[in-house]
Amino acid sequence: MKLKQFAAIALAMMIPTYSALAEYPDKPISYIIPFGPGGESDITARHQQPFFKEKFGQDVVISYKPGGGGAVGWAQLNSIKGDGYTIMGTNLPHIIVKPLQKDVGFKTDDITNVYMFHYTPDALVVTKDSPFKTLQDLIDYAKENPGKLTLSGSGKGTANHLAQIRFDGMAGVKSTYVSFKGTGKAVAAVLGDQVKASWGYTSVGAKHSEQVRLLAVAMEARHPKFPDVPTFKELGFDLVSGAYRGIAVPKSTPEAVRVKLSQMIGEINADPEFRKRMENDGMALLDVDYAGMGAFMEEMKAVYGKAAREAGIIK
Amino acid sequence: MPGIEHLLEALTPLNIMLALAGVIAGTVIGSLPGLTATMAVAVLVPITFTMAPASALILMGAIYTGAIYGGAYAAILLNTPGTPSAIATTFDGFPMAKRGDGDLAVTLACLASVAGGLVGAVFLLILAPPLASVALAFGPVEYFWLAVFGLTLISALSEGNLLKGLIGACFGLLLSCVGIAEISADVRFNFGSQTLLGGIETVTALIGLYCVPVLIDLVATPDKHLKVTHEPRGFRLREALRISWKGKFNLARSSVIGTLVGILPGAGGSIAGLVAYSEARRSSNRTEHFGHGEPEGVQATESANNATVGGGFIPTLVLGIPGTPPDAVILGALLIQGVRTGPNLFADEGSIVYTFIYGLFLATILMLPAGLVIGRYAYKTIVTVPKAMLVPTVAFMTMIGTFAIRNNVSDVVIMIVLGVIGWVLNRFGFSPSPIVLGLILGSIAEQGFVQAWTIGAATDDLAAMFFGRPISLAIIALILLALFYPLVRARWLGRRRKVNAD
Amino acid sequence: MPTDSDAKQRPRDVPGMLMAVVFIFVAAFALWDTTNMADSDSYVFPSAVAIAMIVFSIALIVWNLIYPSGSNGETMPGASTPRRVALVAAMLISTALMPYLGFLISGVAAFAAIMLIAMYDPWTRYRKIVYPLVCVGVVVGFYTMFAKVLLVPLPAGLLFE
Repeated sequence: MKLKQFAAIALAMMIPTYSALAEYPDKPISYIIPFGPGGESDITARHQQPFFKEKFGQDVVISYKPGGGGAVGWAQLNSIKGDGYTIMGTNLPHIIVKPLQKDVGFKTDDITNVYMFHYTPDALVVTKDSPFKTLQDLIDYAKENPGKLTLSGSGKGTANHLAQIRFDGMAGVKSTYVSFKGTGKAVAAVLGDQVKASWGYTSVGAKHSEQVRLLAVAMEARHPKFPDVPTFKELGFDLVSGAYRGIAVPKSTPEAVRVKLSQMIGEINADPEFRKRMENDGMALLDVDYAGMGAFMEEMKAVYGKAAREAGIIK
Repeated sequence: MPGIEHLLEALTPLNIMLALAGVIAGTVIGSLPGLTATMAVAVLVPITFTMAPASALILMGAIYTGAIYGGAYAAILLNTPGTPSAIATTFDGFPMAKRGDGDLAVTLACLASVAGGLVGAVFLLILAPPLASVALAFGPVEYFWLAVFGLTLISALSEGNLLKGLIGACFGLLLSCVGIAEISADVRFNFGSQTLLGGIETVTALIGLYCVPVLIDLVATPDKHLKVTHEPRGFRLREALRISWKGKFNLARSSVIGTLVGILPGAGGSIAGLVAYSEARRSSNRTEHFGHGEPEGVQATESANNATVGGGFIPTLVLGIPGTPPDAVILGALLIQGVRTGPNLFADEGSIVYTFIYGLFLATILMLPAGLVIGRYAYKTIVTVPKAMLVPTVAFMTMIGTFAIRNNVSDVVIMIVLGVIGWVLNRFGFSPSPIVLGLILGSIAEQGFVQAWTIGAATDDLAAMFFGRPISLAIIALILLALFYPLVRARWLGRRRKVNAD
Repeated sequence: MPTDSDAKQRPRDVPGMLMAVVFIFVAAFALWDTTNMADSDSYVFPSAVAIAMIVFSIALIVWNLIYPSGSNGETMPGASTPRRVALVAAMLISTALMPYLGFLISGVAAFAAIMLIAMYDPWTRYRKIVYPLVCVGVVVGFYTMFAKVLLVPLPAGLLFE
């Protein structure tokens, strides 16, 4: 009898600890996007929102903390309570390159990523009736007219810019990068013939499918939505990059919660319907969970650190 | 009329209800300093997942329209533009309120907004694709000159003191450089401060430079805030209708200007009202009254800024490039619903777009009764509430509203500091409008300049880049006109007076 | 255009000129700050603007010396400066305290303080009851609208975390 009672009490005492974790999440989760509404980070979050509700029964409340291209939000991440009920969107290469440039209020290692769930691969975008029919056309033009090939892109020190620099190095050409505020404006520039081409993403190709063509994509294999577009790798350029998006939590979040969150996001990522919707919007999915995050970030830091240094963005 | 078969779809009871609720909610939100249409629309996005795309669009469009109109209340009654597009409404709206014609101003604003909104929606319905290509023709250079034009306008409009206006504009331009530069990802003017890293938000500056000085002066004396010489005379609708009819050319012209300028993504919303106002002043035979409570001024700005709603949707729906921040949110909501924007939106997914446009017509028309009623209550409240209630409420609203923009306490501090600076500048004769406009247009001017420079340098054709393109030349001509027309006119009038006197 | 005889009558716009001098300093300071910007793209625009500002300010001073046109600043006779300062102080202090006391408490405190600052009418019994109620009502009302409807994360304060 005594042993049974003892066991019962012991079990009863363990239940609260387990149930605390098992019940997470038991109230709505706040998902902060460090950009303004309507942008791509907002859209990917909105794609995830209904799946959170469907799979885990809790609402995800999206709010925005724009400023400094994301810096304001990331600088405040660790001052938020780390109970697992507040998560924040993160973007690569932003969180790697920005702190290396100047004091932007946070360091790359301050950001505790639990999952890297998606990336929009870089792609070279031209208008439907552009004289460049293949990537080689573009390279030839650039070789004959050094500096005259104008390409638009979103921001400096961003994925677009770094792609342009790396590609220039690989192809041995000199092109001129014109920075615009946001992918929308960069696309408008190429549509209006203000520039000759644009370093954008596959999502641009999806969104403006009737008006643009992609010359190449920076992926390992061709994008399911653009089966006719070659990868840079196929054409001989080892360029696999893009903008990555992930989810981070404040540093003070306990390990168990981090793992649980990582699992949850992983589950959403595996959902075929979710994958279909994201791919339809031209985005590619990635599955780096919490366990693999350390190695992934180290690799990314090396790659982007080097690219940024070559670009002259950091000293 | 294109897509007329979708008119009936727009008129379902659900959609009518959504349009009405949206317009009411939007008007209230737009009138509270600190709350923006963007915020309201962003919150509603999850709810729209459960609705049909057309209904969702109608709701969001209605809120947007209402909010642009609602910005007039604070502009007229508190000298604080509720939205950047209402800046020019303060020029004549507030003087009208101070002399007791606030109710007339509010009603005029409502009528003008409805007129402008309808014109904008008509252009959206009929001319969207061709107008969208016009928007694309505006490259970085054109945007740069457009920003300079806006700043020249506002300086020229500053109560006769062009130089003070220009200095204020420059100050605003410098303020816009604070924070992380979009152009180069460099951090500027933050003097090591975390707070200033994110730069200075437009709405923060708007409330700080306009509203806080008003509050500071309100507490200083026991006088009533607005003069009320007689019993509130209902809506003064008949009088307003008469004035509106008299000013129908003004309304029409301002609405068209508003729509066309509103097509340009980014710059359109803020300067449409200014351009319309400036044009109305120039061509009116009551020019001297502008700036001192001339009804034509209120009509011009309010019709222009509601026309930008329809105009702004043109690049959003046709090109997938949002015209204004609320457009960006709406675009995002559409993308998630799987709606593809683009020229074919009007062909393939025609039902959604046309239902939405007719819904926009509906919402604009519903704004008339809703706006008049809300306007009357707003006016009565502000006029009758004692200062001890009014000042803390408005002060509190500004604090919570400013916080809510970026969920950041530092923004509130920035607002208060700017408020003190604005009050001091007012005393010395520097108006806040050029500063705010400099802040808004700063990034457009800078980006346009640097981008044009980069492209021009790459093609070895800098001079041709800045001065050789037809649209740029037209804008430069307008700039020179704005600068020198007042001088020329004054001299011409002076000469005529001399001739008559002889 | 002001004629010569007009010019002699009107006073110089001293406040305006003073402000112009201040602006010259501001512009100079901005110019100095641009020297530590690495990327040439960063400082092109602010430098150009700062220089323009200096030019315009000097022009203003010179123009006023030649054609004095009187000040166009607004003045308010009989205005109470202590109340003005108190208003700004109340707003700043309550904002500074917001992260610690939470939004509701500092909001009510700010509202109450400003109400007292703006109070010019005598305190009748009616007012003594109604005003505090309005104070709490407005603050709580807005709090609910923002925190629950618009889902804005208002600071909860250290006491409530």
